[in-house]
Amino acid sequence: MPQRLTLLACFALATASAQAQFNLRNLDINKLVDTAKNTAKATTEIGEQEEIGIGRDVAARLLGASPLMANDGVQRYVNHVGRWLASQTERPDLPWQFGVLEAPQLNAFATPGGNVFITRGLLERTKNEAELAGVLAHEMAHVLRKHHLKAIQKGAQTALAGEALQQALTNRGGANANREKLISLGSEVFARGLDKGDELEADRLGVAIAARGGYDAYGLPAVLQTLQAMNPQDSGLALMFKTHPAPAERLDALEKLQGLLDAYAAQPQLAERFAASARARR
Amino acid sequence: MNTLASHPDRIATSLFGQILTSLVAAIFLCVPVLCLAEAATVIRATELKQAPASDAASAGELAANARVDALERQGGWTRVKAAGGAEGWVRMLALRYDGAGAAKQGDSGIAQALNVARTGTSGAQVTTGVRGLDAEQLANAKPNTAELKKLERYTASKNAAAEFAERGHLHAQQVSYP
Repeated sequence: MPQRLTLLACFALATASAQAQFNLRNLDINKLVDTAKNTAKATTEIGEQEEIGIGRDVAARLLGASPLMANDGVQRYVNHVGRWLASQTERPDLPWQFGVLEAPQLNAFATPGGNVFITRGLLERTKNEAELAGVLAHEMAHVLRKHHLKAIQKGAQTALAGEALQQALTNRGGANANREKLISLGSEVFARGLDKGDELEADRLGVAIAARGGYDAYGLPAVLQTLQAMNPQDSGLALMFKTHPAPAERLDALEKLQGLLDAYAAQPQLAERFAASARARR
Repeated sequence: MNTLASHPDRIATSLFGQILTSLVAAIFLCVPVLCLAEAATVIRATELKQAPASDAASAGELAANARVDALERQGGWTRVKAAGGAEGWVRMLALRYDGAGAAKQGDSGIAQALNVARTGTSGAQVTTGVRGLDAEQLANAKPNTAELKKLERYTASKNAAAEFAERGHLHAQQVSYP
């Protein structure tokens, strides 16, 4: 009888230790899997919800630098043009939103997840709806190709590693210094600019998206020509010229699309609707 | 006694005021005109066409770097007046403008004033904190969540946008990315 008990006890002990060992191994494996996941996050995909969340936070910063132009009619008009173009893209169901920033400088911005902005300064230099569509479509191409998101991600790899990056991306919990850092990287992209290749790609896609929407495909080239005709020393152009290839270079690149441009050159420009809607008095 | 002659500084001020007024008037009057006839250069030897189409009859030849005045655009074509007086259409993308719109004064506050004059924003509105978007302002910006909420309020639905497109006679096309 006591012998049996001892045996049982031994068996129990052995089992327990095996269990403990297994648990330990399990923990190690979990940790390894986590680390691998974090590394993968930093180098590959950010989920769509995270992309949208990051884009909203970067947009809030941008709006901190310049609020929206206080004109409901103009804001709604630009949203209709933009939303129509968005429906012609491969990401029609993103929560697309468009805004006219009050800033007098000439510029346009996009943040991940479907937020697109044009400044009042640039809107006032565009002559018709096809030109506006060209500008919005260029910015939408940045969203579609995740240009900013990739730039933020690249910066985050050096500024935030492993756990910190994970925390910043998911943004769980209250005050999150890592999140702040990640969103700052987003604003920095606006000040520093994207790669030249990204800008030229956005021009090509922008022309195609405007043509898909039924607009005169020459809208974007026409805006570039307006910018090219302006004095490059004009203070309203400083940031845009610093962060984009020169308009002449962008026009040179678009000359290769002559066939596409000509095929959709006869589509509407809607100068009258533009004049009535975008120039509305506040 | 209180004549202008006895106050040379006032003459100067009033003269300056007059010049400023004419300058502002010039800005308002000339900008649209400049848009219609802007000095440009053709970037390569090109044929001047009688109509905005590649199969249109020739209206002459333009040498590379020829100077023209650009008058109007139609699709991918711009109507120009050559230095010799000949008029016709050239490829819009064959033109590069002189960038002479602001007469190259440099970034002296005149460019800034031009901006304000063109946008019609009064000084009072400019000083409400919207000096615009430069690199420094972007770097130091604090999130404005109230404006972000406002942004959501203006969004258009897919259907509303489709109706809007229909009203403008816009027809969706299948176009591959180049």
